[in-house]
Amino acid sequence: MPTKARIIQMLLVTAVAALALRTADTWGNEVKETAVRTSAIATPEPKPADVPDARAALAAAADALGMLRTAGLGGGRTPRLDVINTMEFWASGTPFADYHVVLAYNPPGMRVELTNPNGNPQHAIEVVNGKYAWNESEVGGGLISGKGTATPDMATADVRLLRLWILPYGVIKAGLAAGDRAKVSTENGATVVTFPLTGQLAAVTVKATIDDKNFITKVETQGPGNLSTETEYSDYADRGEIPTDVQFPGHIVRKQGGKTVVDLTVKKADGNNPYVIIPVPDNVMNASAK
Amino acid sequence: MSHFGRSRIFTAAAALCLLPMAAVAQQQERKQMPLPQDQLKQAKSLPTPKTADGHPDLSGLWNGLGDPLVGSRNQLSNAGIEVAADSTEDIYTNTDIATFPPDSKRRNSSDGERANTLLRRMGSNKPIYKPEYWARVQNFDANSNEDDPAYHCMAAGVPRIGVASQIGQSPTRLILIYPGQGGLLATQTTYRVVPTDGRKHTPLDDLDPTWNGEAIGHWEGDTMVIDTIGFNSSTFLDQVGGYFHSENMHVVERLHRDGNTLTWQATIDDPDVLLKPWTTNKRVVLLNPDPGAVLPESMPCSERDFAHAVTKEHH
Repeated sequence: MPTKARIIQMLLVTAVAALALRTADTWGNEVKETAVRTSAIATPEPKPADVPDARAALAAAADALGMLRTAGLGGGRTPRLDVINTMEFWASGTPFADYHVVLAYNPPGMRVELTNPNGNPQHAIEVVNGKYAWNESEVGGGLISGKGTATPDMATADVRLLRLWILPYGVIKAGLAAGDRAKVSTENGATVVTFPLTGQLAAVTVKATIDDKNFITKVETQGPGNLSTETEYSDYADRGEIPTDVQFPGHIVRKQGGKTVVDLTVKKADGNNPYVIIPVPDNVMNASAK
Repeated sequence: MSHFGRSRIFTAAAALCLLPMAAVAQQQERKQMPLPQDQLKQAKSLPTPKTADGHPDLSGLWNGLGDPLVGSRNQLSNAGIEVAADSTEDIYTNTDIATFPPDSKRRNSSDGERANTLLRRMGSNKPIYKPEYWARVQNFDANSNEDDPAYHCMAAGVPRIGVASQIGQSPTRLILIYPGQGGLLATQTTYRVVPTDGRKHTPLDDLDPTWNGEAIGHWEGDTMVIDTIGFNSSTFLDQVGGYFHSENMHVVERLHRDGNTLTWQATIDDPDVLLKPWTTNKRVVLLNPDPGAVLPESMPCSERDFAHAVTKEHH
């Protein structure tokens, strides 16, 4: 039946044409939607191959560390977020036989429990929470009357807080927060990002060296007094008992004037945002007010 | 060609013609779906209905959207981080979280699961335990697969069950119904009957401790305040964190209706283990606008997975 055959042919051609149009329309809409979403966030998609700006370089470094993650929630609309807030790690080496750290970036604080057989004292718990710094006789000492002590040590607050921001995660957070003040360059084939810190550490400038795998391998700081530091990181891996894909350096070397002063091997690191709180004891807060 | 064969070709051709229309209609529907923030704003702007005794009418089927995005926002909000479609901040400290657009990288399920786990723990609003319990909280959190009672089909308990999905209200009581949701908010369908007739709590020593405790409600202005004591210590405060509590826990929940939104927030006081009371972030749910909507039946909780767990990974 030629008429029916023609009708079938026309219907098929129409269907194919309509499908083609729909596909083009959908693709166009997807592109438009992506553009809208991107402009709403006002941040470029990081393209490490181009290394066009510091933000892209830091985002690539964050990706390498497992910091930028997309939740499997929200129908795919969830953006990639910096998912790191708290961490804990255990290390040993020179001069510390034990070096145990709990830290939080929001709000920023750090408790370092260290054992140095040749030190005086041999065991110390150094704590900082923003502008407050103190030494605990035991973990959480001074928070409850009669259970340990907290001795204010405000003069060390900046140095202790700097330890937090020169860890690879801190460098990325602070670098991204620096916005346009973060600059990127190349030195000996490696990407280098420099930026100033803010707040109580505003006098400090950070220079971070990033290798071809986008790992931060060296962090140098320039600042007044003992705020000038140099730290090297290597041997990155997921070191958590519970896998998170968050990479943590296995080797940390701190130098002063080119000479190694601290050389640590990380035994374990918990990057799964563990329970970390660093409340300021009342007596420390009162000492600050005086 | 048989008549049957020709009509199949006609049918196929017609279906092919209709396919693009259906796909375009679906596309339009997706494009027209407003963002949750817009929905919340719109629902909030509606008038708040009152009961005959002049109080806000809390009755209805809540969490009306029932979609994962709003559900996730609420879950994450409780952990201290609010995830919107295009902006992100820690809602407890208002700290901006570095945010980048979704990428096109293919991800496997373990990556998504691990990302969810990290996200749920990253909020800064945490209960402040006494120092002697810090390690215990960490240990419970790390070993939740074994230690979290709700992972073994036990009751989630108050406050972990969060906002009721259905509320019935009379002048003297509230009926709160919580459907089980696969272990996320509650593992089993549960209910609470909350007297609002002005009665006082039973002395704590006379109460048999339970998962949901003894709840008594009263109005403070337009806010329903539910005061609960008499808990056992067999529940955690939230779905992540290993936040245990004692039998001395005291929970005060506040429910406030604005238009077709309901805001819930709880304050947990437990002087035996906490240094100070902990107030959760707010959860906001929407009223299901369909007057004929009913709560679906939940599947029974039946634990079958843990025998096969090879790591301690969990949400």
